Amino acid sequence: MPYCPTSPQERRYVVHMLIAAALCILFSVVAALGFRHAHPTGILAYLLGTLPGLPIVGALAATGLYLHAETDEFLRNVLIQSLLGGMGATLALTTVWGNLEDFVHAPHLGLTWIYPLFWAFSGISYGFVRLRYK
Amino acid sequence: MKNRIRVLRAERDWSQADLALRLEVSRQSVNAIETGKFDPSLPLAFKLARLFETTIEAIFDDEIAEDNRGL
Repeated sequence: MPYCPTSPQERRYVVHMLIAAALCILFSVVAALGFRHAHPTGILAYLLGTLPGLPIVGALAATGLYLHAETDEFLRNVLIQSLLGGMGATLALTTVWGNLEDFVHAPHLGLTWIYPLFWAFSGISYGFVRLRYK
Repeated sequence: MKNRIRVLRAERDWSQADLALRLEVSRQSVNAIETGKFDPSLPLAFKLARLFETTIEAIFDDEIAEDNRGL
């Protein structure tokens, strides 16, 4: 069965996350094109480099706002457990990978991968949490 | 936590969706609470008790208290 938001707060949260994802793609393209064609330097380079990360900050803020606004304690609990699972798995993987990079020269994992990894693990965790309440 | 929500609901001929609507929560919440997989907060337990016009103790089976009474 496809995922379907159940509360108004959840629906609003999904919309915010979709907007953040769209802005993230748009700003990433803008930053990539900007660096490729305009070769910015100094403060402008920092500002352009920061641009793709801003929707991510927005998405994290939207998650916090949703957890605050959600009146359905069960839905809130499910999301909190999923996020904790996602955080734990991301911390575990990046720590182990960091040690592998230091000691056995494993390929470098860029910091920008941490955020998508966190959501991927949170998504997997969400599936397991929902299974518990089936 | 074991509870009598399914019985109380059946007595009133309410579906899980009906109860969810009255409690202003999702149907999944009602299902999780009814099957004993999720324990509601105290405010939600009071809301359930008021809705079914009974007490929290009459809805939820506190097994620990039962065990203590048996000591």
